[in-house]
Amino acid sequence: MTLYILLFVIILAALIGTPLFAVILAVAMIGFCHSGVDLSVITIEIYRIADTPLLMALPLFTLAGYIMGESKTSQRLVRLTRVFLGWMPGGLAIVALVTCALFTAFTGASGVTIVALGALLYPALKQSQYNEKFSLGLVTTSGSLGLLFPPSLPLILYGIIAQQMNTGQNVTISNLFLAGLLPGILMVVLLSCWSLWASRNNPEPKTPFSGKEALAAMREAAWEIPLPLFVLIGVYGGFLTISEVAAVTAIYIIVVEVFVYKEIKLSRLPSVMRESMVVCGGILLIIGVSLAFTNYLIDAEVPMRLFKLIQELVTSKIAFLILLNIFLLILGAILDIFSALIIMVPLILPVAISYGIDPVHLGIIFLANMQIGYFTPPVGMNLFIASYRFNKPITELYKASIPFMIVLLIALLIITYWPGLSMVFL
Amino acid sequence: MNNKLDNSYFKQVQTFLYRVENGILVVLLLSMLAMAVLQILMRNLFESGIIWGDILVRILVLWVGLAGAMVASRRGNHISIDILSRYLPERAGNTVKSAVEFFTAAVCSVAAFYTLRFVKIEFDEGGMAFAQVPIWVCEAIIPIAFIVIALRYFMLSIITFSKIIKSSS
Repeated sequence: MTLYILLFVIILAALIGTPLFAVILAVAMIGFCHSGVDLSVITIEIYRIADTPLLMALPLFTLAGYIMGESKTSQRLVRLTRVFLGWMPGGLAIVALVTCALFTAFTGASGVTIVALGALLYPALKQSQYNEKFSLGLVTTSGSLGLLFPPSLPLILYGIIAQQMNTGQNVTISNLFLAGLLPGILMVVLLSCWSLWASRNNPEPKTPFSGKEALAAMREAAWEIPLPLFVLIGVYGGFLTISEVAAVTAIYIIVVEVFVYKEIKLSRLPSVMRESMVVCGGILLIIGVSLAFTNYLIDAEVPMRLFKLIQELVTSKIAFLILLNIFLLILGAILDIFSALIIMVPLILPVAISYGIDPVHLGIIFLANMQIGYFTPPVGMNLFIASYRFNKPITELYKASIPFMIVLLIALLIITYWPGLSMVFL
Repeated sequence: MNNKLDNSYFKQVQTFLYRVENGILVVLLLSMLAMAVLQILMRNLFESGIIWGDILVRILVLWVGLAGAMVASRRGNHISIDILSRYLPERAGNTVKSAVEFFTAAVCSVAAFYTLRFVKIEFDEGGMAFAQVPIWVCEAIIPIAFIVIALRYFMLSIITFSKIIKSSS
C-alpha cells in the first residue's frame, strides 16, 4: 500500500515538472529498497554508460549538429536545393520539406531546424505568394521531418536501448538506418503531394534551372556536400563503426566551419561546445539512471506482467498496433523524444516482440509517432518553438498544422500496417 | 550596503567557478574527440592503437555527460514534463516550482550519499580500470555530479522560495 502511495506521489511530481532524471532515480531507489538491494548499486548502473561504446555517438553528433546550427549551413543548403528543385511546380514548398528533412537528420529534432531554417524559409514562402497559414504549418511540421534518415540520433538511441535488452534478435544501427529510408521518403513525398494540391492556385514565380547558379551553389557548399555521402559510405560500407563516423563527422565539421568557412570564431567554439554538452548531459544522465530503473523493472518482471495484462485485453496484433499508435502519439506530445525512448522502449519492446512485431519495425513505428507528437496540440514542442520564433499565437499554429498532421497520420498508418516498407532492404 | 558587497563577492566567486567548470567540460570533450580520432587513425593507417584508448574514450563519455548535466542544473535546465505549470498563476507556480526543486535536491542528496559510499569502498579495494588508473578515480564523477546537482537545486529552491515571500510582502 505504502508503495503505491509513494509511486502515486512520484507520478504527480513528474507531472508538475520535476526533472525526469530525478523522477526515474526516485522510482529506481524505491524499487531497490523494496526488494532489499543496497542503493550503492546505482553507481554500478550509471557506470554502465562507460560500457556502451555506441553512446560516444551521442555527444559527438550533438556537437556536430550544434556547430552546423550556428554556422550558415542552412543558407547554403536552401540555395543548393532551390537550384535543383525550384523549377518544379510548388517548388519552394518541396525545397522546404527536403532541406528540413536533411538538416534534421544531422542536427536532431531539437528545434534547431525551426530556428535556423524556418527563419529563412518562412519569409521566402510568403514572398512567393504562399498563403500564410500554409507557410506556418509547413515550417512547423517540417521541424521534425527527417528523424528517420541517417545519422538521426533518436534512431541510434533506439538501437542502443534495443541492444541492451538482449531480446535475442539482432537490432543493428545500420539495419535501422536502412529501415528508416523508405518510410522517411514516404513522408516527404506525401507532404510534397499535399503541398502541390494546397498551393495549386498559387501563382508562384518559378525559378528556371540555371547551370551557372547550380555550379555556384555547389561550389559554395563544396565542403559540406560530401558529409551525407561520407556517413552513408562509412556506415554501410563497413569501414567505420557509428561512433567512429560520429567522431570523424564532428572533427570535420569543426575544421570546415571554423577554419574553412570561418563562420564560427575560435573564441566562440567553447561556448557552442558547452551548449551542446548541456543538452547531451541531460540526456546521458537520464540514460544513466534509467539503466538502474530498467534493471529493476526486469528483476521485478514488469514487462512480463505488462504483457500478460495487455494480452488479456488485446488479442490481435492489429488491435495492439492501433493502441500502440494512440499511446505513442500522446506520449510524443508530452515527452521529449529521447526521454520517451529511454523510458518506454524497455517496457514496450518485449511486449511488441511477443505480438510478433520485428524490433526494427517497432523502432520505425516508434519514431514516426514521436515525429507527429512534436506538433500535436496542445503541448507539442514544435508548436511552442514556432510560436516563439514567428511571433504568432499558438492557437493559430494549431490550425495551421492540422492538415499536415492528417497527411503524416496517413503516412503513419501505412508505415505501421505495412511492415514490408521498412523491412524491404533487410 | 554590506549586503550588496557580499552579493557582488558571491557573484564573483560564482563566475569564477562557472568558468572553471566550463573549462573542464570543454577540455573533457576535446580530449574525448582527440582520443577517438587518434584511435581511428592509428587503427586504419598503422594497424595499431593504444590498448586502453577505447576504455579511456568511453569513460570520458561518462565524464562529459555528467559534467554537462552539472552545468544544466545551474538554471534547472533539465528535461521535464511541463504540462501544469504553464497554466498556473505566478504565485502558485512558484510554490510548485520551489517544492519540485527541493524534491530534486533531496533525491540527488540520497544518490550522492550512496554513490560516495560505493566509491569509498572501491578506493579501499584499490582495483585498476586501465593502465595505472584506479577504478575509483573513474567513478568519482558520479558522486561529484550528484553533490553539485543537489547543491544547485537546493539553491534554486531557496531562490524560488524567496520570490514567493517577496511577492507576498
